[in-house]
Amino acid sequence: MRRNRGAGGAGRYAFRLQEERAAYAFIFPAVACLLLFTFYPMIDAVVVSFKDFNLINPQADFVGFGNYKELFADRAFWDSLLHSFHFAIVVIPAQTAIALGLALLVRRSTRLSGLFRTVYFLPVVIAVGVASTVFRLLYNQDVGLFNALLKLLGLPQVSFLSDPGVAMYGVMILGMWKSAGFFMIIFLAGLNNIPKTIYEAAEVDGASRPRMFFHITLPLLRRTLAFVVVITTMDAIKISGPVFILTNGGPAGSTTTATYFIVQEAFDQMRMGYASAAAMVLFAIVLAISVLQMRAFRTDVEY
Amino acid sequence: MKKSMGTLLAVLLATGTLAGCGGGGNGAASPSGASEPAGTSAAGENGGEKVTITYWRHDNEAEVKALKQLIASFQAKYPNVTVKMEVIPYADYETKIRTALAGGKAPDVMGIDGPFVASYAHQDAIVPLDDYFAQNGDLDDITAPVRESLTYKDKIWAAPLNDASVAMFYNKKLFEDKGIPLPSQNPEEAWTWEQVRDAAAKINDPAHKIYGWDPAWGLGPGEGSAFVKMTYLWQAGAEILSPDGQTAKGYLDSAEAKKALTFFGGLYNDSKVAPKELPPEAFESGKLGIAMNGPWFLPVLQNNFKNFKDWAVAPLWKDAKQVTPMGSWNMAITKQSKHPREAWEFVNWVTGKEGAKVWYEVTKNLPARLSVADAFPELKEYPLNIWVKQSSTYAKPRPVSPAYPAISKAITDLFEDVTLKKGNVDDAVNRAVEKIDKALSSVK
Repeated sequence: MRRNRGAGGAGRYAFRLQEERAAYAFIFPAVACLLLFTFYPMIDAVVVSFKDFNLINPQADFVGFGNYKELFADRAFWDSLLHSFHFAIVVIPAQTAIALGLALLVRRSTRLSGLFRTVYFLPVVIAVGVASTVFRLLYNQDVGLFNALLKLLGLPQVSFLSDPGVAMYGVMILGMWKSAGFFMIIFLAGLNNIPKTIYEAAEVDGASRPRMFFHITLPLLRRTLAFVVVITTMDAIKISGPVFILTNGGPAGSTTTATYFIVQEAFDQMRMGYASAAAMVLFAIVLAISVLQMRAFRTDVEY
Repeated sequence: MKKSMGTLLAVLLATGTLAGCGGGGNGAASPSGASEPAGTSAAGENGGEKVTITYWRHDNEAEVKALKQLIASFQAKYPNVTVKMEVIPYADYETKIRTALAGGKAPDVMGIDGPFVASYAHQDAIVPLDDYFAQNGDLDDITAPVRESLTYKDKIWAAPLNDASVAMFYNKKLFEDKGIPLPSQNPEEAWTWEQVRDAAAKINDPAHKIYGWDPAWGLGPGEGSAFVKMTYLWQAGAEILSPDGQTAKGYLDSAEAKKALTFFGGLYNDSKVAPKELPPEAFESGKLGIAMNGPWFLPVLQNNFKNFKDWAVAPLWKDAKQVTPMGSWNMAITKQSKHPREAWEFVNWVTGKEGAKVWYEVTKNLPARLSVADAFPELKEYPLNIWVKQSSTYAKPRPVSPAYPAISKAITDLFEDVTLKKGNVDDAVNRAVEKIDKALSSVK
């Protein structure tokens, strides 16, 4: 109080101005990076998508919607989108359920829960390249671990990597193994945010465990769930890392996802303009789905 | 107080920028580079002036070792020229060089894989070398198929480091166990497709994890895969493109091509002598009867698989024609180079008659120069003589076309289609022809 009387409004204003300046200085690096490495390339890609742009020749002519017209008639592009969606439709519910299940399992802090949390999270910190290389061996028909296990159980052998009808599931298993741990941690944070008192009240009312899960845990996890589902969807539709090393888009193109298609067109075929157009279409699709999902998960429940 | 705050901010800014941009800057072409005028300065009149030549290539232990030797001797001969070699991991190489070309940051000299020469030439990224070769390049010493593979629009665009060829590798023990007569070592007496298939059928025993034949480096995409698969079309007597390189129609969809594809698919689906999936290092571990490989496989067998002694080499199989694949890595001078004269002297130092001998001694790669093939007696003896003879007599270059990337992909897709999708060969061929013709029309 005493301090304010002496300094008055002007001093306060100066202080705020200084604070604001410091704030801008703090966010400057992040904003500069975003502008330079995210927004500038994005806008550039929009421009390039209207050009007949060859990767190694910067001189290019505008072709209007030529790239987009060709793209919509390109069977390979539609197939690649289909593969991405196939991956997404299986992985989103399966991976989310696994992550939530793991989170529920390691939620209570016992002596071993720390160990299990670490173990389940471990695949997340392993590099995609390493994981994919190891899975390549695990999936091998003759020397792979998975087929050895199947044989032990008396089940037929599966060609995870050379059967066009199966290879995508091979990529899915790797993808889920790799990411489930990350979303487990997110769910764990969400679960710990739910006040204990609500469960206690339910217990007093004599609610069963499944009832508590469906009527307390799930509704109150809605925001966490929304985050997990939206991020998983984006990751799934853009899946590419494991494809590069595990399958190279094969066999017979059966694991060529949209992102893989774009990289191939841009850098192998050197058709940067065409690839940029494909990237724009993929971007629009991911954006539209994310917006719809955000709407669907909008919630009024506060706690 | 204020000052220390400022310092703190500066530090934060610097570290923040670095942390925030980590990864983002990787490979992103700087926009400012594009405006630089490329290769306009008068080169070649620099005399004693200090010149630095940058050279990018992909990673390969023996080849990099040879280059270090050659660069050292080159710099001793031309004290005013410094060569800076940058070695890039193989998997990143094409992407990195293409991005650098687009961004105006290309090196003076680049490593270039044979079949892409036409693409780079068509896009004006590299310069023709005819005048340089005429001065001191000994062009006639280079084998005819190699020269042909580097010639686009009647000009030669790159200088070869070496050639490549593949022959048949087989497991002697598996042959003898089944009482199969061994194939001849004479390059003129290659086995036919049917002979190889019949031998493979006798060896093939998937229940005991012994496989007959890996006919073309498995299935799958990539230039290596296309490199060996095209030979089946040629051996049957088919062509991929018309002689003028303008269309695949009437060539890739010929009866000969369909015969080759039907035979190839049949190996996987009818006689089943070829497995769709192989364990790693199947041949080296004695689980595969017949494979194909190049002379580069010899040191691998001798050094890394010392206990495996059952291998032998025979000439690559044939059908209506005896044809072998060819072509390897080369050096080209980029249009952006400001010192093409000095760049050529370096290229010629490495790929010329004397350099090529050093190159062979260190890398043991199949020479692209006739004088080198003559200079080393081992190249006239088994097993190296097989590849040498093939590369000078039966080798056929891949189509020299600016649409080559699309052609390569269409071919590997086609072989996968007829093998894995088991669909109609006619439909698969028509799709491939359509893809190639579309790509050809877009580069006209």
